[in-house]
Amino acid sequence: MVVSDSLSSDRGTILRVRGPLEFKCHLVSTDARHMLKVISRTFETLKSQVKSESCVLTVCDSPVIIWPNKDVYITPQEITPNAPCDDILKWIQSDEQDPAGLRSAKKKSKKSSAASVINLRLMMEATKTGPLSAPILSRTVQKSHFLSTTFPVDCVVRTTVNETIKDAFERLLKALTHQLCEMEKVTLQHTKGTTLLVPEPLHFLLPEPKGLVTVVYPAGVPDSQLEAQRKELHQQFELPDDWPYFRRANTYHFPNEPYKDGYLRNPHLVLTHPTLDNGKVYLVQGTYSYHHYMQDHTDDNGWGCAYRSLQTICSWFQQQGYVERAVPSHKETQQALVDVGDKKASFVGSRQWIGSIEVQAVLNQLLGVTSKIMFVSQGSELASKGRELANHFLTEGTPIMIGGGVLAHTILGVAWSETSGQIRYLILDPHYTGAEDLQVVTDKGWCGWKGTDFWDQTAYYNLCLPLRPKVF
Amino acid sequence: MGRTYIVEDVVEGYLTKQCEQTAGPVSGLLIGQSSTQREYVVTATRTPQREESTASGGNSPDKEWVTEHARQVSRMLPGGLSVLGVFIVTDTDAKDTLTTLRQLVFAVENLISSERLWTSAEDDVSDRVVLHVNPKTRKTLCRTFDVKDPKSVAKPADWKYQSGVCSSWSTVSCCVSVDVLLPLPDNPTATEDTAKCLKEGLRGWAHQLESAVCLIDGRRLAADAELAGGQKRNVRQTYSAQLLITPDERRLAEGVQRCGGSVSVSGAVYSTAYLHSNKPKARQAEKLLKRDAVSTLTTRAQMLLEELLTSGGASEGSSRDEHQREQFCLPHRVFCPVEASGPVCVCDYRFSDEGLSEVIDRLKEMLDMDAAEKDLDIRRETPAEVLEGDAADEPTVETAEALQSKRNYFGAAMATTVALLATAASMLYLNDV
Repeated sequence: MVVSDSLSSDRGTILRVRGPLEFKCHLVSTDARHMLKVISRTFETLKSQVKSESCVLTVCDSPVIIWPNKDVYITPQEITPNAPCDDILKWIQSDEQDPAGLRSAKKKSKKSSAASVINLRLMMEATKTGPLSAPILSRTVQKSHFLSTTFPVDCVVRTTVNETIKDAFERLLKALTHQLCEMEKVTLQHTKGTTLLVPEPLHFLLPEPKGLVTVVYPAGVPDSQLEAQRKELHQQFELPDDWPYFRRANTYHFPNEPYKDGYLRNPHLVLTHPTLDNGKVYLVQGTYSYHHYMQDHTDDNGWGCAYRSLQTICSWFQQQGYVERAVPSHKETQQALVDVGDKKASFVGSRQWIGSIEVQAVLNQLLGVTSKIMFVSQGSELASKGRELANHFLTEGTPIMIGGGVLAHTILGVAWSETSGQIRYLILDPHYTGAEDLQVVTDKGWCGWKGTDFWDQTAYYNLCLPLRPKVF
Repeated sequence: MGRTYIVEDVVEGYLTKQCEQTAGPVSGLLIGQSSTQREYVVTATRTPQREESTASGGNSPDKEWVTEHARQVSRMLPGGLSVLGVFIVTDTDAKDTLTTLRQLVFAVENLISSERLWTSAEDDVSDRVVLHVNPKTRKTLCRTFDVKDPKSVAKPADWKYQSGVCSSWSTVSCCVSVDVLLPLPDNPTATEDTAKCLKEGLRGWAHQLESAVCLIDGRRLAADAELAGGQKRNVRQTYSAQLLITPDERRLAEGVQRCGGSVSVSGAVYSTAYLHSNKPKARQAEKLLKRDAVSTLTTRAQMLLEELLTSGGASEGSSRDEHQREQFCLPHRVFCPVEASGPVCVCDYRFSDEGLSEVIDRLKEMLDMDAAEKDLDIRRETPAEVLEGDAADEPTVETAEALQSKRNYFGAAMATTVALLATAASMLYLNDV
């Protein structure tokens, strides 16, 4: 079960509409029934606004503006509603190059062409055709309450190939209205007395063919309190309940959106995987960050490789939503080992190496994660570990830390043939000292497929295989 | 290098007429448009006579009176038009009146800008003109002061008459819908509270408009693009604008809060702006139009609140235990062309209980314009009407009784407004620049 981590470009572009919607109402009393009535009425107003001719969608970074409820009127008028949606892409003036350094156009592999996203902004047209009635000022004097907030609308629709703008935007409008209904449910459910929780739409990528799905959660409520909703969603989408799909950390990250922390995510996705006779590729599932030498202003060149591999593994647990804890610094890792009695206090701040056993101990201490240790007495034996490694990626899907000789690495996957026994290893190398440049990292093999000769054939190796918690 | 003022021929005739009247010195306002290169004066209007005779000597203009006149006139000028300065027709020596005139332009500027909800931009022209005309010799002296510089001194300026100055100006207009809902503070409300609260709410609306996306004739133009876009110069153009807004990203007062009620303004305002014909920019059109939209709504709200204050406020003294909802119609906007054949108009606001004759009287009093009913354009907005039996929450709709007081006849308004502005006005003169 290999979960695709990015939307393939086989289907059409994604339309994504975002924008704040003002929500204001005057509550004559805080009686629950009255509040629900007023809130519902205000939502009806918002829905009719969105369905009205005043609703406008502007395409970001372009002069294109669309009125979806006016027979899909578009400006500039060179674009017609019956044109394919992809035509809009030609009008977007943004830098094609992702600042992190996307693969150059020359070596374009199928995997690197992720689906395009057209970002739209939801706006309202304040002007109308006159003559209209002059304004009326209305004043109600009464001790009462006032509700004022902004809802972050965030709606996504996946177009089909060659779908016309008219059809796609009609679908988008329906999705917007549906989102408002969902927001209404969440608001009504979570409004008690004078507290109001803002409904927050989040997108989750489910295995094909389900694709991108939007769920509205009450903002600020942690995953643990949303267990009932998440269980229901798992059932609704027929998803196994031992793998998280709907935790906040699982939110889909749209391509071309930079990550706030600046680390590279899943660099292995741009690689071409090896094809072996009767072979299959077994990869890490979910997402992780690439941690390596010299990051975070820490000069750990020559001694920090196992620590970095551990950080990569910790990032995996955080990004799948199993833990909220941030990736530990070297000092925090060392302190954890002191805390479990594995090292003396003087260990903290030193440049001493650690191995798989220590990695296992830290994962347990800081994250509550259990790991299996695999031992090979010499590197040549790794060639025969194909089945075990493949099984690990199938059932656990976590990155593996491997230490031996004088080096530590992270194994992200194997390509293995059951019949021929051929094997390749997908390695993430923590010894890299350069910048977060995807092109360099993949071109120079810092993340890449290696053969059995990668290992020191005579040295012994320990592997730490973290087990994922079987929860949703 | 001084400023250049291009002045309509009609203004020359008007000033000459003021020279010929014998009742003493005459002061007044000069109205038109500024641009970075030159200023255009479109019309002039003398200060109306004060009902009581002025106690002080007839030679120096009554500063309070002139300033108040300027404030009232400013409300009658659509986008692109503003009070550019003051004139005085007197046989007192020009040098002696210069100080007074300087005080006047600063006071006028301070008063007008204090009412605005939009902020002036860096590239706004801050020169104001003072014109001195000697009725016996007909000699004119023209000087400018920079009202952004408290220490500014008089600079010479050119005063040139020309015909058809604004006959081919462009017009940009639109109808902006307004839907503002605000909480009233959580204590017994008086009209002052409503006013303060409304001002804050309208400020938020003004901010939304300022950052709105502006389309002119259906297209989004680059900021530096020319409005006419390659079309023939000096050909009058009319443009229609559209404004796209999005709520403020800043979140103010999230959640549920206590309040003493609510106030809402809902309807539409017709907004228009004029641009001179010398290669006007799209950015300028957008700026002037948006400012006009903000001004026209603010002006009307202020007028209504001034009314309520004068008439004692319909809700003063009524019981606050049972909630009550009052609805007031804001006046609707009426336009009158400055010259019969030109596009440039001034405007006035007509309350629902007024007839067109009141509008004509005000145009005469404030702008010294002789208009006939047929000249007035009343079709841009329809008068507001309060709907009975609105689908509201337990409604007890009380339509405010027609406010009986004579409305905005200069004298009556002066009494109230001067009372309100007494503190402000005295401060203006205390910090005499």
